[in-house]
Amino acid sequence: MAMQEAQIYKALGDPVRLQMVQRLVEQSPLTLGEISRDLGVSRQGARKQIQVLVSANVVHLQPKGRQTEVTLDSASLRRAREFISRLEQQWDQRLLALKALVED
Amino acid sequence: MQDEIRRELTINASQERLYAAVSSAEELVKWFPETIEGSMEPGEEPVFGFGEHGSGKVLIVDARPHEYFAYRWIPGGNPFKGEFNEANTTLVEFHIKDNGDGSCQLTLTESGFSSLPEDFIEKAYKDNSGGWEFMLERLQTYIGKAAA
Repeated sequence: MAMQEAQIYKALGDPVRLQMVQRLVEQSPLTLGEISRDLGVSRQGARKQIQVLVSANVVHLQPKGRQTEVTLDSASLRRAREFISRLEQQWDQRLLALKALVED
Repeated sequence: MQDEIRRELTINASQERLYAAVSSAEELVKWFPETIEGSMEPGEEPVFGFGEHGSGKVLIVDARPHEYFAYRWIPGGNPFKGEFNEANTTLVEFHIKDNGDGSCQLTLTESGFSSLPEDFIEKAYKDNSGGWEFMLERLQTYIGKAAA
């Protein structure tokens, strides 16, 4: 499970892939063509980036007629978010302790 | 996607007091790790000890009294003894701004989660519950003190 989160973070740690995901957040599914448009990368390059997202389970591909549709896996994103939430809770507790210390 | 944790809070203390609390080993051990071995100067790599939950190296990145202090570490305060590089750590930054009324605005950021390698995150994830319990214990000590 933790490996999955790591893969998700890595998958999203790239401006092109992040933009693809943002497009899907607005509208899912999109076709391969729609998700790759105007990103400043070749078709082949875009395809490679999408493959990284697929490997991390951030998106899924599905053939639809002559097109391929890209769907966002929001459950994966939620899991990644939970990891950060736990770290946030840790900081909240630490900062409360800090506040208590210096305001004494 | 979130690559940064950000927390802002107002603290009723002077900039000097707050800066000392986040940057000096003597003060840090009163609210954060239990022990610190080594210097807290930029470029140094002190070891933060978390009692029975282990200890980990921290790389001090920058220190600008009384407004900014930054270090790199493995998120969650997890045991780490290896070589530091930007790819295996997150950057923790404390910004302290004087509000001019005896209080300060403290901004904490931890950034760089998307560049962490997989095995580090896995470890951070596993070790996390321990760190969490440790912090709860420490917090209770403070609440106990404040109530006394």
